[in-house]
Amino acid sequence: MKIFTCIKYVPDTSEAEVKLDAGGTAVDSSRFSFDINDADNYAVEESVLIKEKYEGDVTVVSIGPKNSDVMIRMAMAKGCDRAIRIEDDRIASYDPLMVARVLAGAIKDQEFDLVFTGCMAEDYGQAVTGVALAEILGIPHAAYVKKVELEDGKLKAHRELEGGLMEVVEITTPAVLTIQTGINEPRYAPIRGIRQAQKKELKVVNLDDLGVPADEVSAEASQIVLEKLYIPVVESKAEIIEGAPEEKAEKLASILVKGGLL
Amino acid sequence: MRGMKMTTENQTFTEKFDLLGCIQCGRCTGGCPVTVRTNLNVRRFVYDAYNEDLLEELSRVADIWDCTACHTCAVRCPKGLKPLEVLIGLRSLVVESGKTEPTVRDALESTFMEGNPWNKPRATRNDWMEGLDVIVAEPEQKVENLFFVCCTIAYDPRVQVTARNIVNLLNKAGVDYAFLGTDETCCGSEIFTLGEDGLFEMLIEDNTEMLNEYQADRIVALSPHCFTTFNTHYPDLNKPVIHYTQLLAELLEQKKLAFKDGLEKKIVYHDPCYLGKQSGVFEEPRSVLKAIEGVELVEFGRNRERSLCCEGGGGKMWVESESKIERLAETRVKDARALEADIIAAACPFCVLTLDDAVKAEGFEEEMRVAEIMEILGELEVMQEKPSSAQEVED
Repeated sequence: MKIFTCIKYVPDTSEAEVKLDAGGTAVDSSRFSFDINDADNYAVEESVLIKEKYEGDVTVVSIGPKNSDVMIRMAMAKGCDRAIRIEDDRIASYDPLMVARVLAGAIKDQEFDLVFTGCMAEDYGQAVTGVALAEILGIPHAAYVKKVELEDGKLKAHRELEGGLMEVVEITTPAVLTIQTGINEPRYAPIRGIRQAQKKELKVVNLDDLGVPADEVSAEASQIVLEKLYIPVVESKAEIIEGAPEEKAEKLASILVKGGLL
Repeated sequence: MRGMKMTTENQTFTEKFDLLGCIQCGRCTGGCPVTVRTNLNVRRFVYDAYNEDLLEELSRVADIWDCTACHTCAVRCPKGLKPLEVLIGLRSLVVESGKTEPTVRDALESTFMEGNPWNKPRATRNDWMEGLDVIVAEPEQKVENLFFVCCTIAYDPRVQVTARNIVNLLNKAGVDYAFLGTDETCCGSEIFTLGEDGLFEMLIEDNTEMLNEYQADRIVALSPHCFTTFNTHYPDLNKPVIHYTQLLAELLEQKKLAFKDGLEKKIVYHDPCYLGKQSGVFEEPRSVLKAIEGVELVEFGRNRERSLCCEGGGGKMWVESESKIERLAETRVKDARALEADIIAAACPFCVLTLDDAVKAEGFEEEMRVAEIMEILGELEVMQEKPSSAQEVED
């Protein structure tokens, strides 16, 4: 089983105030910590679990700066075998279609059975890259996968739908699976393992090395123009319900009914 | 598992923890405070771990995570062994396998990536300084007291007051000091007890190199955990490390510090395990509290070496015990209530957090409160008894 797992180095915006840069089209990330995208972490774990069960090897693919090597080494410490990091300023990285084209350029000529991505990235939250990647590679996909079953060469993907519903699809390989968080419990990469992973191959390439024409993945090729980012004005409205408990309950129920929530 | 090599020195588990030195007297388990609420039997683990074929199985027993690393077992062992470190060694097997609890995993990853176990960005480490006149250290600048804040005090809003109040006190008392910038990194106290040997070694190496660059006479740690960890596990540090209560006791003794107004309160001092039974600092925190006029300092029945652990150490901030039996911190606050204390004073961020929770759990908020010693001092007017001309004080 040959697997390619695509991961992304993203800022954690939950622990520091989000501020915009002077241009208003980028976030000031100087006070954020960066780490592997949450869903991608589950994708790494799932690929390693499949490798451990069925044998094979896992290649990590990531587009990002040198700082992200630490994340890649952690993935290799967990059991991924090698990595390709694509670093090229010409990539319009805010456009998932451009990103998918670059990833496809790194994967398409390789032998593979499965490609894993996270179902969504925490930064732009488009949830498009994995699906677009499948389209470009010309192979089927399943999105928001919460369970993977492999039997007699058949792959069953359990997809998480709205309202707690699960959908089971059987798809042929090679295929792209976009992995939902909670599919497994990602393991810890001990520091000794990370140090040992220094011996594993981490190839750093650019668009020219991949044979991906820059004008097909740059801002000029993108059909998206990032106009502006802004922080919505915080609005709050609180109504304190007074009265005896029974009256309060009645008033609350009537508010909920009026609001269409009950 | 047989013949498994646990350490870089290629020692076996038995050699590393000197298991053959154990005479199975049971003083470790007899003194272990968590036995009143969990099934942990440390003597049994020391006995069983001699069989290296059993190590993996032992590492899967949940009880190994009940240890709070209070060191009572080590203090009482007649053979000078550290039984708790056998449990830490078993935790290491879990960590090395990668199959840790998610909370432990996240704390360890955060320490590796951001230098603190609290999943906070390194860039915000010194946000606690906002609005204060703080002298931030430069490596080439000579300074007498270089302060090491601690991750928990730096990031946890409940205990940041420790650092904020000491800055005000230092400024008023004209003490020669500086605080580290955002390159201050976790001392590794909890990383060690969670069993991440590799990360702990990395922190020791990096912190030693970073701290040795500073032209400081000594390091003053705000947390007993950093204080004890530096003194126990950092053999190559080129300067001594003291706890802040030792500095305050020194300033009071040298008449460089005095408290102008008094406090008519009954205070009971809780000895933190890492400051007291592990490092022998018992008198300085008491002498600081006694220096406040009006304070009636009372003692727990279990004080000094016999102080009851609050269960905040040993990585327990990230591992919840399954036991539903009363927490030790709850027992502690009940003891304080019986003494009719107004304030439980502590000198450790973990003790403050766990005792604070216990006061709320017991519903004693009206009757008493938990306060870090610096929190109490922050409510007093600080005077510089003998003004020093050597230092300009910014106020």
